[in-house]
Amino acid sequence: MTPSRAAFAAILAKDLRSELRTLQSLPAMALFSVTTFVIFRFGLDRTSLSGSLAAGVLWATLLFAAVLGINRLFVAEREEGGFDAIRLAPIDRSVLFTAKVAALVVYLLALELVAVPIFAIFFLEDAGGLGPLVLVLVLTDLGLAATGTLISSMAVNSRARDLLVPLVLLPLAIPLMIAATGATEPLLSLGGPSYDRFGTWLMVLGLYDLIFALVGYAVFDFLLED
Amino acid sequence: MELLVAAPALPLDEAGKYVAGAYVVFVVLLVVYLAIMAAKVQRIERELRDVAAIAEEKKGAQAAPGRGSETPLASRGSGGGGTDV
Amino acid sequence: MYGKGLKPLSIATVAMLALSLSLVFFYAPLDADQGFIQKIFYLHVPLAMVALVGFIVGGVFAVLHLRSDDRKWDAYSYVSIHISVIFGVAVLITGAIWAKASWGHWWVWDEPTLVSFLIVFLLYATYYPFRYAIEDRDRQARYASVFAVTAGAFVPLNFMAVRMAQSLVHPRTFATADGGLPGEMMLTFLVSLAAIALLWTTLVKFELTAKSASGQVKRLRRALDAPVGGGGSRIAPEVS
Repeated sequence: MTPSRAAFAAILAKDLRSELRTLQSLPAMALFSVTTFVIFRFGLDRTSLSGSLAAGVLWATLLFAAVLGINRLFVAEREEGGFDAIRLAPIDRSVLFTAKVAALVVYLLALELVAVPIFAIFFLEDAGGLGPLVLVLVLTDLGLAATGTLISSMAVNSRARDLLVPLVLLPLAIPLMIAATGATEPLLSLGGPSYDRFGTWLMVLGLYDLIFALVGYAVFDFLLED
Repeated sequence: MELLVAAPALPLDEAGKYVAGAYVVFVVLLVVYLAIMAAKVQRIERELRDVAAIAEEKKGAQAAPGRGSETPLASRGSGGGGTDV
Repeated sequence: MYGKGLKPLSIATVAMLALSLSLVFFYAPLDADQGFIQKIFYLHVPLAMVALVGFIVGGVFAVLHLRSDDRKWDAYSYVSIHISVIFGVAVLITGAIWAKASWGHWWVWDEPTLVSFLIVFLLYATYYPFRYAIEDRDRQARYASVFAVTAGAFVPLNFMAVRMAQSLVHPRTFATADGGLPGEMMLTFLVSLAAIALLWTTLVKFELTAKSASGQVKRLRRALDAPVGGGGSRIAPEVS
């Protein structure tokens, strides 16, 4: 393994281990999602959802849970002095970015593994659209992870770190939400899943992921200088 | 291209108010910006006055080194200086 | 020397603005469908285009800042974004006025360009609290540049996504400057665009000059061992 790859694997493993060890935010995020679903049930006065309403409720909930959970990854890192260790290590610092993004994606997928089935149980008549939904979930998670890592890396060094991530990340996430709900809505429609513009939306998600992964990778070095 | 426009043209006096409103907003924003900048420039002028006073004092202190008096650092001379218009 | 050329630039701006206004109200023909309301476009669209370009320019300055570590680029980036945000306020208000006049509502979600612009504006509005939250000056400048670069990449992507979200049923009622504009309207539009672009440049230069003057005063104070007054902004980068 090249030094970069070894470093990547090590950081990723460390992140996942620390998450598994602390077990802090994953259950909390899952709980938050389920409670939010209940709130939506009463807020919208609906016991079953389909189409655009279903897509909206699902994605809004996932987004807010993600935003709440994203800070955790970096707060823990900072408090344990992880950043300092990385800075001293003779590796390309952008590797840290890739590792963080990967950890965050795994994190989000784990959350969705719990939240999406519960959503289906609560609200969906027919689970046919869930299979292709996985594709949408993965691509959206990549985008959220890229921008989330970027913003929270900066926010962690600021005073208002709890406020900053939601504030800045939410507008950035809007194109992701547009594409994700655009793809999800036909999947969850009343008459069974349809694939109206599915490919197009996936491409938009992919484009977003590509652009922000590149931007993040390119600028991450500048964030760790001190 | 303007085939399916659902908006009928408003009569001129009605429409005029909206158009005027838009241009008024633009002018107001511009003037507000200039007012803020004016405040900034005023502050700069005030500071320059202070700095000039400090510089003159230092010059005075240099000319008479035996005085040994502590020149007060924050001398806010309100007078002095040009009667430039 | 930031003030150099500011005078001719402002004179050119005023002249262009005067020319543009004259063309809008005395030369450009009345639009067949929208009537007099259409005249708002000569203000609204150039403001929007210039603001968006201004955001991207802010991103470019940010890249220069990151690469050279010269603080002046951070000041350029900040001011570009700042002026563009102000223009953005004007865009949204004039857009709302147009919407009210055309549709009877102060806001419509049917106009993808306006909605995209709102989202971009919301993002850049977070630039200020973002800068404010980072206390260390060096870090603030660096992070702000990262923000400006990320946001710059966001602008085109966002426009594309919002446009795609529009239902294909709704016709685009915004008679934009591309294709189908009669010659007189096109000329008027281009002159207005030039005038607003000049205005943006003048304001940016003006602001940078004022900052530079402040910076020189601080420099003087330091040279005289005089106390450097408080009154520096927490977020606006200094220029010297």
